[in-house]
Amino acid sequence: MAERDMARQLVDAVIADFPDHKRGTRPAHTIGIGAKGRFKASPIARDWCHAEHFQGGEIDASVRFSNSSGSPDQHDGWSDARGMATRFHLPGGAATDLIAMTLREFFSPTPEDFLAFAKAAIPRPVEPPNPWRKIGDMLRLFPPLPDPYPGQKTSSVGGSMAYAGLHSASQLAAFDASFLGAPVSYARATYNAVHTFIITAPDGTTRYVRFFWQPAAGVEMVDPKLSPVDDYLQSELRERIARWPVEFLLLMTVGEVGDPLNDPTKSWPLHRARINMGTLRLTEVPADQQAHCEKLAFNPGRLTSGIAMSDDPILTARKAAYEVSREMRGGRACPFETQ
Amino acid sequence: MSLMARPNAWLNALVNSMSDSRVFAWLAGHVLVPYWAWKTPVYKQHGGPRATVQPGDNVQRMMNLILPLKDKTAVGRAQAAMAIASNLDEIYAGLDNVGTVHFARFVIIENNMCMISSYDGDFSNYIRDFVAQLGTVFDGVVALIEDGEEMIPTRDNIDAFINWVHDRDVYQIPDTATDLLHYGTIGHPSANSGEVADLRLIARSLILQLHANPNALLGSGYRGYPGASAARIREKMGLGW
Repeated sequence: MAERDMARQLVDAVIADFPDHKRGTRPAHTIGIGAKGRFKASPIARDWCHAEHFQGGEIDASVRFSNSSGSPDQHDGWSDARGMATRFHLPGGAATDLIAMTLREFFSPTPEDFLAFAKAAIPRPVEPPNPWRKIGDMLRLFPPLPDPYPGQKTSSVGGSMAYAGLHSASQLAAFDASFLGAPVSYARATYNAVHTFIITAPDGTTRYVRFFWQPAAGVEMVDPKLSPVDDYLQSELRERIARWPVEFLLLMTVGEVGDPLNDPTKSWPLHRARINMGTLRLTEVPADQQAHCEKLAFNPGRLTSGIAMSDDPILTARKAAYEVSREMRGGRACPFETQ
Repeated sequence: MSLMARPNAWLNALVNSMSDSRVFAWLAGHVLVPYWAWKTPVYKQHGGPRATVQPGDNVQRMMNLILPLKDKTAVGRAQAAMAIASNLDEIYAGLDNVGTVHFARFVIIENNMCMISSYDGDFSNYIRDFVAQLGTVFDGVVALIEDGEEMIPTRDNIDAFINWVHDRDVYQIPDTATDLLHYGTIGHPSANSGEVADLRLIARSLILQLHANPNALLGSGYRGYPGASAARIREKMGLGW
């Protein structure tokens, strides 16, 4: 019960961060587009993990790309995190999900901390910084605060940065978020699953791992000096997939002694070995986005035999919170294998 | 919104353009950086990779020595080139015998002799092994370098020589940007000591650290075959080692 109460509080806190949020839609990552395709495990994936989707055969996959905001207003060109939620449709009829975002780490190590962070990040009216303050910042060798985007009336950046200033756990995510930018395409960004999972190999060896999707087309961001365009990511994806499949590599990093295994605010070193677990090939943007995408309810805790949750408190909380969110918006239920 | 539509709009536009201007670049480089380096001096960070117990970080470590030549003419550079060229057998035998080196190269860049390598294991042992194998070659090179005389013969000054090399191994900027906040400034231990940290301080911390450490390696670098030691790769390639 306490877990469900916390889940409800988390969902409410996220909704409060977007005052114009529309009931019946996702509390965050509200604007998105679904695509369908196939996932094929790499030849070595089965040596690392006995999960069904890593055994080598091709399986169906559904993906939803999204902007992170919970607002119904679309601002593709604004610097922000993007999401990539993937459902692997397993041959036996069950499913497993992998939820990833362009930020490499999360803002909080615990649900309680996230509630405080979300409260601090409630949008406040934003004005162009006073030029004299900018000059003062420049004289202090600080990067001057950026001007708001054209038409932008509120921002949560000031609140989240102030919170990060007082809470070291939030600093890396807040700092990295300030450099995210906007991708030229949903197909040209790297998406990180952020949390640690425990995989089991056929010989019973368990390993702590983190997953991320790397785009075959490479990563490319929009020039931040250009005036931002509000609506281009969905049409770009449609046009891209109509021309040629979109591919992502599923890469996996194995944790080492001393790595934070239950703290999503801390990323693992980039120079680690990257194990290729398979290739996702997206070939279709379904016409009926409501049925094939918006009604789907992804969940980072929907796992399958061979992959287990670590004791990351945020991962545990997200599993419950995503279920609460699904119920609130009437998303289609998909059973958890472990239930 | 036109520039006249809100107060200070013209000034804001001017300030925005000023931050990229050559005038401000000159002011920042010649006045602001020295001022803040004086006002909030930073601890100069040591060269080389950070200390770590993680297996993946103890292979393919990077060394980037920059050694200023005493003679900054073509003659001095030729002497440095000959110090290497005339000892190739010693260098190759030493590299083979040390056995932990993925690659090593000597480069002359603007009157600096640069020794750049990727190696496995502990830095001190790496240098110690090399001095045992290549002491006379090191002596020949160090004799051409500023402040190197006191290290010769390197075999008799091994600990001092390890420190000398460490000081000349370039500083490695942390992979995690916020680590820069924890360096602190002299007199102010770190941004984590209870005071509020403006994350924009990271920019100034980086600038002041690069003022103290003009040469830097940008993070720990990309590795094509991470986590594998030179010994393991040789074994897998069937080279008979």
